[in-house]
Amino acid sequence: MTAAADVPAPVPARAGAAAGSGGVDWAQVALNAYIVVFMLYLFLPLALMALAAFNANDTPSVTDWRGFTLDWFTGRTDEAGEVVVRGLPQETRFLEGLMRSVGIALGVIALAIPLGLAAALVLSRLGAASGSFLYTLLVSPILTPGIVLGVSTMTLWRDAFGVEAGPLTVVVAHSSFIASYCMLMFMARLQRLDPALEEAALDLGASNLFAFRRVTLPFLWPTIATASVVAFLQSFENYNTTFFAIGSSFTLVTEIGSRMRFGLSPTINAIGVLFIVLTVAAAAVWVLLRRRQG
Amino acid sequence: MAELVRAYGRGLAAVFAGLTAVWLVLMVALPMANMTKRAFTLEIRDGPSAQMRVELERARQQIAVIDFDIAAAETEIARGSAPAAAPSPSDPFAGLTGRASPGMAAPSPGGGGAEPPEARIERLRAERAEAVAAIPAMAAEVERLRAGEDARAGLSVENFTTMSPLHWRVFGLTFLYCVAVTTIALVVCYPVAYAVAQAQGTGRAGLLLLGLVVPYAINELLRIFAWTMILANNGILNGALDALGVIDLEGGETIRWLASNGSVFAVMVYAYVLFMVFPIYNAIETLERAQIEAARDLGASVWRIHRRVVIPHAKPGIAVGCIMTFMLSAGSISVPGLVGPGLHPDWFSQIIYRNFFEAANWNVGSARALMLLILSTAFIIGVMRAFGVGVKEIAK
Repeated sequence: MTAAADVPAPVPARAGAAAGSGGVDWAQVALNAYIVVFMLYLFLPLALMALAAFNANDTPSVTDWRGFTLDWFTGRTDEAGEVVVRGLPQETRFLEGLMRSVGIALGVIALAIPLGLAAALVLSRLGAASGSFLYTLLVSPILTPGIVLGVSTMTLWRDAFGVEAGPLTVVVAHSSFIASYCMLMFMARLQRLDPALEEAALDLGASNLFAFRRVTLPFLWPTIATASVVAFLQSFENYNTTFFAIGSSFTLVTEIGSRMRFGLSPTINAIGVLFIVLTVAAAAVWVLLRRRQG
Repeated sequence: MAELVRAYGRGLAAVFAGLTAVWLVLMVALPMANMTKRAFTLEIRDGPSAQMRVELERARQQIAVIDFDIAAAETEIARGSAPAAAPSPSDPFAGLTGRASPGMAAPSPGGGGAEPPEARIERLRAERAEAVAAIPAMAAEVERLRAGEDARAGLSVENFTTMSPLHWRVFGLTFLYCVAVTTIALVVCYPVAYAVAQAQGTGRAGLLLLGLVVPYAINELLRIFAWTMILANNGILNGALDALGVIDLEGGETIRWLASNGSVFAVMVYAYVLFMVFPIYNAIETLERAQIEAARDLGASVWRIHRRVVIPHAKPGIAVGCIMTFMLSAGSISVPGLVGPGLHPDWFSQIIYRNFFEAANWNVGSARALMLLILSTAFIIGVMRAFGVGVKEIAK
């Protein structure tokens, strides 16, 4: 984490700047200094959170250091088997919430990808007037405040279908706006699809379904993959919509939220460390893959 | 439509149109329509159906308590019924049973001692069956009473007009707060977006972008948690001030950072900063670098270059960033709820929360949510007009 904070070293002075003033480009220096401060603002809280996960203090802190410990990850039991320190293995609700969050996110992928793809295909073949109206309607969930999405989905499903708030309503509420993101990604991709390809397939006697499966879908696969990742992350980390649509059930994120109401526990820091490690690992893999391609 | 059928054939076109319709109707239009309907419907709160509902709730609780007692008795049997050795676990629950159901004969205060657990289970099972049998009739009665009340409750604007002056104030303040968060985020993010766009083409840009994205792949709640940990009364900030000798923690001197608007702003900007950086970055990135250099060569100051060249070009990006940040902060319950609990006055999202989950008045809650939606939509339309951008640009 701290290594990443060092990233913004000075941007190389541009040829134009050097030619113009000849001296030190103070604006550039100020900008670089600002970027360093900004990166500290981004990463310092996360670094402190990670550090506090290894502090034996039972309120998360780095200033009041009481020794290094892994107890918040592993928990600790005494000889009699009584739990002394509640770590991640004892906090089973976090694991349960995690499983539910993953289940919900997979449900969102299953729902939002087909919806977004279908809408993108419909929009790509609509005339300008009706198309732009439909487009505005379908983009609107992105611009709707999260709690409004949660509230409106929860009340509709109870009023109209008698379904109480729970994981199912969360999947629907998430999909309503995540499908919009997917749709936008598919539209961007479809713009680059040469319509002649589909037409050629049809002219050569392929059925519509065959042409779609063999021409359009393969072209869209990379976007389906990216959109799935985006959908998963969006759903997984969402709090504001989930909070209103989850009812008496809970996900990892709402569980962390309700714990925070009753005081802070270093086990949440431990979860934070796991998230950071996962994210940094994923980022590293991504960078390596790009290096290899580039 | 004809285009779609021509391109994909009737079957596939029907599937695509059908899926789009399901999304549009079931997940976008109907929820909004239903929420609006609730917002304009006056709910009769303390009518007979509400009282009946309380009875029903009490009966359900009673069953839960009986289940608890049965389980306690069963463990007692499993332990070889030694009530003298271990304090009878049923005691506290027996007291609870009496409280939860005043009409029911409370079990003898002696609990397990007076009555053998087998007999007690027998009796509890009978009570449970009786209580369970009574529930459908009560539920039906609630429905019947409620239908009668619904028929009487017509369309009304009372959910809006009866809002207290305090809540109106919160509504206005929330707007100001969200504008403040948006403004701060814009000022903070513009230089960053500019710097990243300038570094474009060098390896550094990729790293900078990665540095921006990584914190965002980490959960929103964990980002907020990191800040509450810093700002808590016995948190890192106060600890650092203590170490510097500014305050004396041991002596009970703390600075209350949490539950202040400054903290909520700082954390909110932190939470949603990426939504401001990326649109502006995308816009500036398309600016020819030669334009900036030309302006500089012609002797324009840094300030003037930004005012006359960069900012006009970045306008759509700035608009989108402001729209997203405003919408996210208006619709955030996480930051005001977790960083600012006990903050007075609340944010409007907390009022919506309370109407749904504490006052259990969904219609008033719907009215408040609708107001928030209108506020946010009005802001979005205003910004789009002011910056002259359309919905198409937002989608980028």
